[in-house]
Formats: sequence, structure tokens, C-alpha cells
Amino acid sequence: MSGVGDAHPCARCAYVLPWTHTPLTLIIIIDAIALFPLSLMFFFVSIQPMASKTEKITTSSTAEYFSKNLQQVGFSSQVKAVLTTLKEAVDNALDACEEGGILPEVTVWVEKVGPGSLKNSDQIRVKVEDNGPGIEADDVPKVFGEYLASSKFGRGRCSRGQQGIGISAATTWAQLTCAVGARVITKTSKMRKALSTLVEVDIKNNKGVLREKETIDWDREHGTSVEFLIDGRIQLNGEAGLLNYLNGTTLVNPHLTLKYHLPDTEPLTVERVSMVVPEIPPATEPHPHTLKLGEFIAHSHLFGRITVNAWLKKGFSRVHEGVIKELVQAGIKKSLLEKSVDSTSEADFKQVFTGLQNLQLMAPSTKSVLSIGEDALAKSIKRLGDIDFFSVMTRKPAICDFKPVQVEVAIARLKEKSSEAETPVQVLRFANRVPLQFDKAACAIFHSIQSVNWRTYGLVQPKDSLPQGPYIIAVSVVSPFIKFKNASKETVDASDELVEEIRRALIQAGQRLSKHIRKEDKANELEEKIRHIEQFCPILVEGLCRITKAPEIRKKRAEEGLIKLLGRDARTTEKELEEAHAILEEHQEKNLEKQKNEAEVI
Amino acid sequence: MARTDHEIPKMSKELCSRLLADLEKAKRPVLYATKCSLDNSRYDAKVGYLTPGPKKVATELNVSSVKKMSRAIFMLEILLMKLETAAVHTKRELYYISKGEIKHNPHLKPLDFADQDESDEIIDFICELLECYREDLNCYANDRGGQTYAQQLIVTETLPDGDKAVIDLSKLGTTPFQPKNRPQNLKLSSKKKIDFCLIVESEGTANTLAANGFTKRNNAILMGAQGVPSNGVRGWCKLIQDQLKVPLYFFGDLDAYTVQNIFRTLKAGSAASLIRNSDFSAPDVKFLGVLPEDIKKYDLNDYPVKENDAQEVRSLKKAQDALKNDPFFHDKRNKGLSQILKWLLANKRRCEQQAYFTVAPRDPTMPEKIIVDKIKRGEYY
Ligand SMILES: Nc1ncnc2c1ncn2[C@@H]1O[C@H](COP(=O)(O)OP(=O)(O)OP(=O)(O)O)[C@@H](O)[C@H]1O
Ligand SMILES: [Mg+2]
Repeated sequence: MSGVGDAHPCARCAYVLPWTHTPLTLIIIIDAIALFPLSLMFFFVSIQPMASKTEKITTSSTAEYFSKNLQQVGFSSQVKAVLTTLKEAVDNALDACEEGGILPEVTVWVEKVGPGSLKNSDQIRVKVEDNGPGIEADDVPKVFGEYLASSKFGRGRCSRGQQGIGISAATTWAQLTCAVGARVITKTSKMRKALSTLVEVDIKNNKGVLREKETIDWDREHGTSVEFLIDGRIQLNGEAGLLNYLNGTTLVNPHLTLKYHLPDTEPLTVERVSMVVPEIPPATEPHPHTLKLGEFIAHSHLFGRITVNAWLKKGFSRVHEGVIKELVQAGIKKSLLEKSVDSTSEADFKQVFTGLQNLQLMAPSTKSVLSIGEDALAKSIKRLGDIDFFSVMTRKPAICDFKPVQVEVAIARLKEKSSEAETPVQVLRFANRVPLQFDKAACAIFHSIQSVNWRTYGLVQPKDSLPQGPYIIAVSVVSPFIKFKNASKETVDASDELVEEIRRALIQAGQRLSKHIRKEDKANELEEKIRHIEQFCPILVEGLCRITKAPEIRKKRAEEGLIKLLGRDARTTEKELEEAHAILEEHQEKNLEKQKNEAEVI
Repeated sequence: MARTDHEIPKMSKELCSRLLADLEKAKRPVLYATKCSLDNSRYDAKVGYLTPGPKKVATELNVSSVKKMSRAIFMLEILLMKLETAAVHTKRELYYISKGEIKHNPHLKPLDFADQDESDEIIDFICELLECYREDLNCYANDRGGQTYAQQLIVTETLPDGDKAVIDLSKLGTTPFQPKNRPQNLKLSSKKKIDFCLIVESEGTANTLAANGFTKRNNAILMGAQGVPSNGVRGWCKLIQDQLKVPLYFFGDLDAYTVQNIFRTLKAGSAASLIRNSDFSAPDVKFLGVLPEDIKKYDLNDYPVKENDAQEVRSLKKAQDALKNDPFFHDKRNKGLSQILKWLLANKRRCEQQAYFTVAPRDPTMPEKIIVDKIKRGEYY
């Protein structure tokens, strides 16, 4: 190995990139992913919490597994690679700021540097800088170079990141395509100087390796900057576009100031509209009825040496002494409950699991969810562009499929009406405040929007499809346990209960919106009526007079009479408009009051 | 009743004066037109066609209807000018004429028609207001259907300038005579006694019968209807019935659409044309076939109604509707016809007129023989 030195880990591996496969192999891979049970994935994740140093074998296979299956976590196309890299970095920045109680200021650069190494690709630089708490020097290799190293995993909180895969996957991608890892600068308030380094993933050992380490002066108290060179293609517009991600992120983060530098657009700063850092409520433990057997067993690994009895009570919500007693009554041996979880067999776990499924348990508490709030949403939605009017709706926390969720909806009508009136509305989907941009057809949010009869609220809607027009419909679902349809977290599983909960939120927002639409319709109607009177009165009377050969004097009288007559109609509309206006005002006032009251309670 | 040429201008002026007088008093004018729908249709077998009931549709002049009313008065003025000079036009031509008027009078711009559908709607609206036919306004649709073959028939047409044209149909060779939409100007006579008139649903089959010598062997008038009969065909049949006093027979497909729509319209008019059925229906016409009993008798090829064919399913649905709501099918004198509809609904089968050609595939005159035989035996409704 002389001459090679400590070669780049990937130089030793024959990595085949996802889209260089022949179609046949690709299909097999996709199939394999589809079959790969999420619960097993959880198993991977759960055995490697950040602090513990566990079995080497498993961790190395983890890094290798993901490096070979990056398409599974968002790197399945050139365009998506850029978006995913940006998204992982920004989501982390926002999580970190929230964690540290800091109002986030995030700056983003995405630019083309040159041709890429892959066919039809460019080399892209993605850099994200935040003013978050920074990362301890010891943690830097874990954060950027080690899979499943996360401070957030399995905590039952509504953070954006959940798995500890995101940013390491981006590092791997950079390494595979451009042979450089992540360039990181970070500083905590405790550090005197900032740490600047290049992090690479040692794929064989699932470990981060630091290179070119130095301490530098940095012009800020604390924060993190991470930069990747990757192969990919920049797409700004459209559903999968970077702008859609950035707009969506600003919408659901009213407290965020975002600056971005994108190709072919002026650098832009979107100022925050709220000075409140959202408080992420304390974690909830999972409810036994929400888990599959695999997940149930995996969950035990988080607790080390602890009896089954203690584990059940500590590790799950709504399991207390009474429930344990019921389990025993149902035939679970006391001796089993006294065993340590790390020596419990799968068969035993299964017995306990089935026992729990058969019990009536209280629904979980809804305290673990968080909302953006109607007030903040109302301010934030104005950042999306020039809008005529909007409506927002924050539902009370609810339980769907035994999981606490909170749904919020914002609908806005844009001023710049697109030339084609028949384009469907723009849908923004969010799960735990992360924009979802792919596979919308299977998503619960999409199903709910289509199930609402928007015609009732004054929108155009062809049968069984999205409504049409220059509207944005944004739906945010927050839950510590969101069930996604895939590992890349792009579609929310469309369970009946969740679809219904979102549907209710949409209906309420629709009702609110319709007050604006009705007022506008009435205003248009009045305008048209007045125009009609001006345009047609003289023409009609002239025509009648020509046919009857009536004299000038009759013509004058008839025209005056007609104007008088039609003026009465216009006044009726005017009255209706005033009524619609009053209803809207009243509604807005009530809303304002409600918000005030809520603020006082808090 | 058809209006005469001076009636229309007179009625128009009356209508306009009434409107004007109301407006001078700032009183809201309301215009009434006959409601043309099945629920306002009456049928009396002695009269023979569908007549309007008492229901009227009111159009009130208000800020929403002022545009339509202005357009109607504008179009009426154009039509009155055309009537004065006896000029004749199609709806499409009138659309372009209105465009031209607006081009020369820019202040009329708000009236401009975006497409012909809009101007057509206004022309129909005028007809409703004046309770007259489109043809009374010198507005003609494209002539469609009614191609007629006969050896004995003479048609005398009075032309707008008063001249008379005399057409001897036997002199036309294989070319059929094409009746016009306004049959009032035609006078019929026969060189020799005419025994009957046969109206065939399919234009092509009528032509085949004529080519094979139908009108040579029979003293008959042979006509192709070309689907749902146009005003021209309906008025032409009425004329033959009234002026020649010959029996009329209709020969077409055995299916719900033919019986319920094509034949009923020919015999008794339609709900949509309540106000002109008197001149556009031939109550004496009989349904010769294809009759349900013919299928067995001649071993005709029939086939089931396709359940997934939207059009066929719809026509069955309409037949059901007709049995329930159409006063024509309620009348006991048309029992034979409603029996056929019931048979069609129960059996869900249909048989086409051309099926007669299967009886003796090598004898092109076989359908003719069957038709003549059926007439002789009185096998019709
Ligand atoms: N900009 C940052 N500032 C401070 N800490 C960070 C930052 N980025 C990442 N971290 C820390 O690194 C950990 C790993 O990040 P990573 O993106 O790999 O996983 P995650 O965000 O927990 O989950 P996911 O895979 O769902 O994104 C985070 O849990 C967080 O503790
Ligand atoms: Mg992350």
C-alpha cells in the first residue's frame, strides 16, 4: 500500500452510482428498498446513539449500506442530489438554533463551479452558514462523518432531523463524486477560536476523519458553516426546485431570517417576521399501539440493562403499573417481566407485544406537538409573494392512529395571476416543518386536498383533482412520530384518520377563505354591473328608437328611465358587497381577539 | 303558425315600442316567451302534433340581462333590414354581418359576439320573443336531408321576385330533389296518381332503393331523412301529406333513438319546437319498420345493446323517460309505438334497417319487396 498512504476510503471501493446502473439493476435496487422494512432501519438506527460506542461490525455495515444506497435517502437524481444536500444542511441549522434557543439567521450559497465527473452533471458548490450554537470539536467527525450519530434519534420530539443519516449522506455523496468531504467551520461560545476542517467518511468503519484541521478567527460568537462540492444539477423552479424548498422553509419558520445566493438571481434576504423561537415541547415516549414488533424490540435497545417491567413503564407512554397488572392477568408471566431487556428473546418480546396490543390503552397525550400559530403563519405567508388575501387555520392537537399530531393550513391567493387560469393550485407540504417535494400523489396531504369540495368556497375545481387558480395551499403536519412512506421522508403515509384530520383543517381554512372570495366576487359583480349600465343603456335605447322611429325626446326619457332602473339593481349588489365586507371584518376581528386571548393565557 | 313577411316587422315594432314605453316610465319591462319543454307539451291525437301548454318563461330586463337584450335588439335591427330587401342568410353569415356592423360603428363594440354560438343564441332568443320561426326571419340553416325521388311529382316554386319555377322530378335522372327549409313557397301536383310516400331513415339506403328501380316499379315518392329530420324534411313531409293526400310510411332502424326521437319528431314534432310543430310535422306518417316481429319473421340479424356504449345506454334511458313523460307515447292511438319502446327496453336488442339485405343477399330488390308487402298487409303502426 506504499505510495497510497491513507488513501481515501472510497478509492478502495468500487462504488457504482445509482443512475449508472442498467435499468434492470436499477429496478432490482428499487425493489430491494421497497422491501427493506422500515422497522429494520429503525433497528440500525437505534443501536447507535451518539454517546455509546457499540459494536464495530454493525456500524461499519451501516456506513457501507448507506453509501451504496444513497438513492434511498434523497440522492436518486442529479437534481435531487443538490436539493437534498441543501435541505439536510438547512434543516440541521434550524434544528440546532431551536435547540439553543437562538433566532436563526441562515445564509445559503448554491453555485455551479464547473463540469461534473458524472455524465450530464455539473460540479456544484453548496454552502450553508448558521448562527446556531456550533458543534463541539469532538463531535464534528461524528456529525458529518458517521451515520446514525444523532442527538435527535428516537426521542419522540418534533425536530426536523430524526435519524442521524442526513448530513453524513451528503458528505458521502461529495466524497464519491468530487473526492472531497465536507468543509466545516464551527464555533461554540465556549471556544476561543473557530475550528476549520475537512471531514470525510471512513466508509469501512463508519467513522468521520478530520483533515486540514486548523483553528481560525471567525467574525462571530457561535455558528456553523458547512460546504460541499458535489456533482448534480441545479433546478431552481418547479415542484422539485430549490426555490420551492427555500420558500416553503421560510413559510413555516416565521422566526427565520434567510439569505440566499442562487445562480441567475439577485442575492436575497427574507427577514424574520416573528421574534419567538419555537419551543419544542418535551419528548413523548411512543405509544405501544403505534409500533410494529420490530420497532418494539428495537426500542428496547435504547435502554441498556433494565427489566422489561421498567422498560415498559419508562419507554412508552400510557403504560403504568395498572397496565402491567392487566398484562399479568392476561397471562404474561411475572418472571418474564423481571428479565433484563437485553437478554429477552424475540419470542418473549412477541408475547409482551401481543399482550399490549390486546389491551385497551389510553390515547397518548398531545403535549408533544408544536404549532407555528395562526398569527405567525399569517405574517409569514406574506413573504411568499404579492398576495391578495389569505386564510390560516391551526387545528388543536389531535390523535391519529394513536400518535399526537397537529395540522395547520395556510391558503393564499397570489396577485400575479398566471396566464393560464387552468393551472392547478400550488401545494406546499410539510412534515415537522420540512418541505416535502416528491411523490406527492401518495401523500396524505395531497389526498386530503383532493377530497375537499373547493367549489363550495368559490374555487374552480375539476372533478377528483386539485383546485385551480393562483393559490398556494400549504399544509403542515407536525408529530413526533410521523409515518413516512419511505426512508427519504417525502410522503406522509395516508392513513384514513390523518387524511380526515387534514381534511377538516382544509375545510375550515376554506370557509375562512371563502369570505374573502365572496367579497371579491361581489366587488367584481358590482364593477361589472356598473360597467354594464354605462355600456349598454345608450346602445339599447338607441336601437329601440331606430326600430320604432321614436323622436329624440323619448330617447332621452327612456335612457334616464333605464339608468334609474338598473341603478336599483346595482345598489342591491352594493349592499351585498357591504354585507360580505362586514362579515369578513367581523371574522378578522374575532380572530384577532382570539389570538390576543391565547397570547395572554400563554 | 308561420308568420307572413309583414307580420314580423309589425310585431317587432310593437315589442320595441312596449319596451321603450316601459323604460320612459322607469318601469321594468318583462318579456314572455312560450316555454319549450316536454313538461309544457300537450298532445291530442286529433290535432296530431305536440302543442304548447300554458307555461311561459319570463325575461326581465335587469342589469344582468341588459347585455343580452341589447344584443337582441341589435340583431333584430339587422334581421328587419334583411327582411325589407328580402335578403336570405345563414346563421353563420349573420354572425359575420353583425361583426361588420360593429366594425363600422365602434361604439357598438360592447355588443360584439365572441363566436357564432353567441350570435346563434341571440337569433333563437328573438324567435322565442316573437314566437316565430327562424325561417320567418329569412335565416336558413344548411339544407340537410329530404332528398326525394319520384316519377310523378311536380314541384312549383314561387321565387322571391314572383317568378315561378316548375320542377318535374322525373326529369332529374338519378339526382334527387332537395326540398328547401321554407316549404310555404312550394306547390305540389302529380302527373299520375301517387300511391304512397316512403321516408327512409338512411340517406344511403334511400339512394340504393332508388338506384335499384323502386320509383320505376312503384308509383311512390321516396325520400331519405338523414337521421333526425331537419326543419326542411319535416316541412316537406307535411306538405306532401297536406297537398297530395297520400299515405306516408317511415322505414328505419329498430332502436330507441329512431322511435323515440327521429320518428316522433317527424310525426308529431318536438318539445323544443313547440311553436312551429303545426307546420313541421306530418301526423299521418306510419312506422313501417323494422318492427320487433320482423326479426323472427324474416330471420333478421339483430344484436344486443352494448351496455358500455354511452350513446346507446343514453338512448334507452331517454326511451324510458319518453314512456313516462312524453304525452305522445301516452296517447292510446300510439300504443303500438309505446309497445315497441317497451319491447326495446325489455329485450335490450336492436336491429338496423339494412338487415333486410340479409334476407336474400343476392337479390338487391328484396328490401323493396318486403316493404311493399308490409304496406299491402298493413303491417305498420
Ligand atoms: N449546523 C449544526 N449545528 C449544530 N449541530 C448540528 C448541526 N448540524 C448537525 N448537528 C448535530 O449533528 C447531528 C447529526 O445530524 P444529521 O443531519 O446527520 O442527523 P439528524 O439531523 O439528527 O437526522 P436526519 O438524518 O433525519 O437529518 C444532529 O442531531 C445535531 O445534533
Ligand atoms: Mg439532519
